[in-house]
This record gives sequence, structure tokens and C-alpha cells, in this order.
Amino acid sequence: MRKTLALITLVGLGFGLGACGSTAQISATTQIGGGSSCTYASIQSELYKPGALTVATDSPAYPPWFENNTPSNDKGFESEVAFDVAKELGFSKSQVKWTVEPFNSSYAPGPKTFDFDINEISYSPQRAEAVTFSESYYNVQQSLVALKGSLIAAHHSPADLRNYVYGDQIGTTSLAYILNELRPMQPPSVFNNLNDVKSALQEARIQALVVDTPTAQYISSSEIPNSVMVGQFPSTGEHYGLLFAKGDPLVGCVNYAIGKLKADGTLAKLVHEYLGLYTSVPTIKP
Amino acid sequence: MPAGGIGEGAFFDEQTLVALGAPPPGSFGGGDRRSHLLGGQRAAAVSTLSTIVFIAVLIALFVFAPGAEAVRHTFFNPSNMKEAFLGDPRLGLYSVGKGLILNIEMFLIAEVLILFFALVIAVVRQLRNPVLFPFRMLAVIYTDVFRGVPLIIVIYAIGFGVPALYLKGISTQSDFVYGIAALVLSYSAYVAEVYRAGIASVHQSQVSAARSLGLSQWKSLRYVVLPQAFRTVIPPLLNDFISLQKDTALVSTLGAVIEANRAAQIDSSTLFVYSSYTVAALLFLCLTIPLARFTDRLIARDVNRRLAGAGTVR
Repeated sequence: MRKTLALITLVGLGFGLGACGSTAQISATTQIGGGSSCTYASIQSELYKPGALTVATDSPAYPPWFENNTPSNDKGFESEVAFDVAKELGFSKSQVKWTVEPFNSSYAPGPKTFDFDINEISYSPQRAEAVTFSESYYNVQQSLVALKGSLIAAHHSPADLRNYVYGDQIGTTSLAYILNELRPMQPPSVFNNLNDVKSALQEARIQALVVDTPTAQYISSSEIPNSVMVGQFPSTGEHYGLLFAKGDPLVGCVNYAIGKLKADGTLAKLVHEYLGLYTSVPTIKP
Repeated sequence: MPAGGIGEGAFFDEQTLVALGAPPPGSFGGGDRRSHLLGGQRAAAVSTLSTIVFIAVLIALFVFAPGAEAVRHTFFNPSNMKEAFLGDPRLGLYSVGKGLILNIEMFLIAEVLILFFALVIAVVRQLRNPVLFPFRMLAVIYTDVFRGVPLIIVIYAIGFGVPALYLKGISTQSDFVYGIAALVLSYSAYVAEVYRAGIASVHQSQVSAARSLGLSQWKSLRYVVLPQAFRTVIPPLLNDFISLQKDTALVSTLGAVIEANRAAQIDSSTLFVYSSYTVAALLFLCLTIPLARFTDRLIARDVNRRLAGAGTVR
């Protein structure tokens, strides 16, 4: 018994001293940009897995961002953006590998299991302290979705908007928009994922949800048949960026690729194809 | 043979007497309690030294480890902890302290309902009348299903499923009500089994004595079996109660109940500092540690009362 106790004490001391002695690994935060240094060969050392571009997104992945929950089919706005960026960097279609990363954990600090994450993730200063964002690939506005014929569909002046029960997904800029801009009297309901928010709207447990305009359009036209897009809120400068691990040097070359896609009109064409507003939606003030 | 021990010049020594069934020395509370607890003077010195070394190792890890500064800033940041506890609507921070009140309300209401409902199930299960077989079968199925299905699925099924049925009155309750309903359904299955164990632990001679006194089956259950069974299972019941306090956190998946853990989650996803989780954990410890010590005292008092000091519970 005494021998065991002595052994346990020694092991504990050993761990303590060992922890003091180990050296920390701090990653450098250098960002290399520029066209000539962004060849296929030169970026291999920066990749999560050399020889392949590992792209992450959430599951399920919704239209119009992806189609059929199959990111690798190159259909859907974000799927095509990812493949176009990969092409600019010299990757073929088969060299793009897709993994799943839940939205809620994508912008948390720590090492990542992908090169970049494309999942309608908005840039925010707090997130930028934990991860690195690329340039914008889409400027986003928030929209309001409610059930047809409900009170909020008819009355949504800025004063009215404070009286409703909203619901949204935890950790999203949409939830932040509700809290900061709409400032309702009753705290909004907070759900783990967008599916639960949509269910809650369908069952009238919340009166409205806030989500980006393309997703709002998809929800009100296809997913929840008796819902309607009440209106679009003015832009707050919010934009989507590709998400990288903090200090990942690959972001320099990806920014260069996005710049090229903007310059030759590819990005504008994709926006028009997948994200164009196909019904007229009023702009409402918060 | 005799060398000190119980009485000078005793015929048998201590060990033999204890082996023959005498209470071990000191079990009546005589002597210095602290040194008895630590096992004597020499053991007290060793314990003190061991504790000092242990605390020194913990401090070394906490203060000198490479990531210690980051951990302290992220998990133990005092200003963030205060913000999270009080909440700050301007920053979009929900209050963990206010959320804890929701947790407390939920587990108090749920526990009362569980204790009652589980007793009904346990009693039904041990009825012997063949006419009541369908009810016994129902109780068995209920226990199996609700111990087998994870609580989160039960909460989802009730919280999202029942409103979708559009039943009058039942489908328009608040998330709070659905959450409590799910907790009661799930935990009653566990607590019913605890009751059953308690009922089974009452010796058959008690039941025979009750019947021979002329008490009917129900009366003997009510006046003889259940009081004894209940006293025996108070420790596991309190254990389940402590577990229930933590599981109330799952009700937040329904959206409207922003309890302590959910508030901590929202705060941490806004600020990327995890101190709000530390606040929630500390608040829960404030709830459960007094309850655990109270449980220990109840057990000790009950054992001492029933077994007149011959038990070995400290």
C-alpha cells in the first residue's frame, strides 16, 4: 500500500515537471500573397494534405449553396466557388477533397482538419481573432421569414418588429442581428441548428426567423410551403469569407484566386445564376 | 495473548473480539474524531505531506505549464466571468445566473413528479394479481423504452413532435412544459427501478409478519414495506436527483429555455472566451456539493440509527 502511494506521488511529480519542461508550439502569423508565388508546386507545403485541396462544409448542405447535400458535384454557388478557386491554384476536380465540419465549431480557435471551410460564414472581428478569413466572395444581407398570413407578415414597421418572438441558430450573425439591430423585448429562442429553427417556425413556436437572403429565398419558396419572405434588411457590410486556421499562409494565394474570379466576372456570373433574387422583395428597416 | 485493547487483562484480544462480532473500537465515536479519520498521528503527517505535494503539482501545472497563460485568459477571465454571470443585453450576452434559476425551477418541479410517478410504476410492477398482468406488462415496457432511449431524443420527440400533432391544448404548451414532461418520463423509468430494488431489499419476513397481523396486501405495502424500502434507497434517489440537475441543460435544445448552460454557450460563441462555461460549472457545483454532503450525512445518520453503531459508515 505504501509502495503504491509513493509510486503515485512520483508519477504525479513527474507529470508536473514534464509539463514545465515541454516547449510550446506557436504558429507564425505571416501572410504571403501574390501571383507568382501561388503556383501549384509552391503551395504544396501549406496544404493540410499535400497533393489535395481539403475543403470543409457542414452537413446537410442546403441549396442554393450546394445541391443534393453533395458538395463534390460542383453544383450550387459555394460548391462552384470552391472548385473555381481550386482551378485557379492548379488543382483538378478530382484533387479537391470534401470533409464535414459543423458550422458551430468551424470558427472556434484551434487547429483545423481542412485547408479552408466554405459554409456561409460571415466575417466578424471576434471570429477573426480565432480564425483567418479570406476576402469576401459574397456580400450578404439578412432577411426575415415568417408564416403566410401571420401578424408579422402584415405589420413589420421598426416599432412593430420589437414585439415578436424570433428564433435563430446559436452563434450566427443572424442571431447577432436580431439581438443588436432588432432588439426584441422577448429574448429570441436559440437552437442548435437551422433545421430546428425551421421546425419551430413551422409549428408556430417562433413567429419569425432571420437568415441570409438566398437561404431565406430557398426556405420560403421550397422548404416551408406556407412561409413567406417578409423583407430584406439593409446591408450592414456583412460578407462571407472562406475560413482558414489562424495564421494559415494559404489564405494569401486563395485571396489572389478570388481576386481573379472577381476580375474575370466568374463570381458575378455565379451570383446571378444561383443567388439572384427571383421575386421582388421589399427592404424593411430594423 | 492480551496486550492492551479492550480492558486491561482481557481474556481475548481486540482482533478476536471484533472477529466474534463486537463493534470495532472507536465506532461509538470515542476518541479524537480527526485523528481517527486520518488513521492516527503518523498517518496524519504522511497525509499532510502528500496533500502538499499534490497541491504543488497542481499549481505547477496551472501556473508554469506552457499553455497556462492562455488557459487562464480563456477559462478564468474574471471580467468575462462577471459579464457572463450578470448578462449584458447590449453585447448580446445572456445571463448565466438568471439561467440557473430556470434550471432550479425545472429540476424541483420534475423531481416531485418523478418521485410520485416512479413509485406508481414500481408498485404496479410488483403486483401479483394475474388480472393486473397487462398493467405489469405496460410498466415493464415503459421502463425498458425510457431507460433505453437517450434523454435528448425524448426531449426532441416531445418538444418538436407533440406540437406537430396539433392536438388541442396539448400541442400549444411552452418549451418549459415539454422539457419537464420529457425529463419526468425518462427519469421515472430509472427511479422506478431504484424503488423496485428498495422494495426487494425488504426481507420477506417483514411481509409475512405484516400479513400474519392481518394487514391486507395494500396495507402491508403502505405501512410496512414502502417506508423501509424508501429509507434504504434514499442515497441512490439523491444520486439520481443530482444527475437530473445536470440533465435539465438538455431542455435548451428546444430553443426557448435559455438556461445556465445554454447562456454560457451563447456567451462563449459571441466572445470566444470560455469563461462563461466556468461560471456555469461553478454554479452547478454550488448546487450539487451541499446536496452530496447532505446525502452523506443522511446515510450515516440512518445507518447509525438502524444498526446502533455496528455499521462501518463514517
